[in-house]
Amino acid sequence: MLPRRFRPFLPVFAAGLALALGACASRPTDPAAVAAFDETNDRLEPFNRAMFGLDQALDAALIRPVAWTYREVVPDPARRGVTNFLRNLRSPITLANNLLQGDVDRAGQTVGRFVVNSTVGVLGFADVAADLGTPYHYEDFGQTLAVWGVGDGSYLYLPIIGPTSLRDGFGLAVDNFGFDPVSWYSYADNPSWVQWAYFGTLLVDIKAGTMAATDELKASSIDYYAALRSAYRQNRAKEIRNGAPAPLPTIPNGDGDPFAAPAN
Amino acid sequence: MTICRRRFTALSLTAALAGRAAVADEWRLSPTGVVEKFAEKGITEILGAAISAAEKTARFRALFKEFFDIPAIGRFVLGRFARTATPDENARFATLFEDVIVYTWSRRFGEYKGQTLKVKDNAPDGEDGAVVNSDIVGNDGQTFVVAWRLRKRETGLRIVDVIVEGVSMAITYRQEYATIIQQTGGMAGLLAQMEKQVAELKAKVG
Repeated sequence: MLPRRFRPFLPVFAAGLALALGACASRPTDPAAVAAFDETNDRLEPFNRAMFGLDQALDAALIRPVAWTYREVVPDPARRGVTNFLRNLRSPITLANNLLQGDVDRAGQTVGRFVVNSTVGVLGFADVAADLGTPYHYEDFGQTLAVWGVGDGSYLYLPIIGPTSLRDGFGLAVDNFGFDPVSWYSYADNPSWVQWAYFGTLLVDIKAGTMAATDELKASSIDYYAALRSAYRQNRAKEIRNGAPAPLPTIPNGDGDPFAAPAN
Repeated sequence: MTICRRRFTALSLTAALAGRAAVADEWRLSPTGVVEKFAEKGITEILGAAISAAEKTARFRALFKEFFDIPAIGRFVLGRFARTATPDENARFATLFEDVIVYTWSRRFGEYKGQTLKVKDNAPDGEDGAVVNSDIVGNDGQTFVVAWRLRKRETGLRIVDVIVEGVSMAITYRQEYATIIQQTGGMAGLLAQMEKQVAELKAKVG
């Protein structure tokens, strides 16, 4: 749903980390403010806001116009075919993380989907497996770390990649260099334009799919950075839970029911 | 017949036990009934109705007030800041918050393309609440998972939060506004920014 723009440009990531360490937000002292600070967990806020500004400029100048044109020009079924193809291509990443999470059930689903969609689904362009009752699911190494009990470290905003966290940014790098078949292909002395074309297509595909939701959030918020941070966190938590409903109520520091009627 | 009568008995019993204002319609006591009614009224009386944009906004405000407990949502969104704000600030916040949501939603009414709401099931949520799970289905087959949190009030159930694909409207506003209050140094800063936003949204709705 929300931006899950992945693909690390590792140098950007490394430079970002180095910069970020020098630009930490200071922890407040008031207990209520500390609780809010921990809930937001954006220790790199000054750095993140700067990267957010850069990303928004890039987005307005290049990514959004391209994605918008793509949506206008390419018909719906063709775009769905591209999405299906890219999802099928990342099956090894999903499978590796299913297994690392000890989720044998979903690992089986991933293998079954890959076999059916790569053959009957013509190289993955048609999601036949979903029609047969096994819908697509998304896994990555950041989610695996979360399942293993690793906290997200801090919110992290990177240009191109968008909202992520220290944990999930690291997870992205592991997925990309370890489990991504397109990277394997590039390691084997094949032309590098293949990987760049893949990144480009992926970026446009994801942007075209998330544009409506992010445009809406931007229009309904005053501080879009803060609203996106909150929405990303919640959506990410849902991915980590594999879509299971959130434990309710989820709000800390309320007295009892957060939606209680006032005592008269 | 039996089911009808039994339900009726349960209903009168609830009303008698509550000892307060009688509940006019039975659907007000059923979580799925409330959500279905809200969607039905929203689609037939607003989204699909042949009326002006201004009329749609006015009707939506009335519908929103009828089905949502806006003051409870506002208190939740402000959280700890509501306790230190002056009564005047809290009152201004309540008015502005209602406007923000009314105009944010109204902006998009013209884009309605026949999406429908399919209520799936419901579960208890806290002591006197429920959560209703539903799908919003577009005619291109795209589906959004939407959960509705409800709380029991004197005149029936009221919606207190809408959760789209795991993202809660109330929590998102709460965290965004907390950031604005901290950055501007207080409630006055948030209220000023909300006033500006409402003016901009109003201009877009027309």
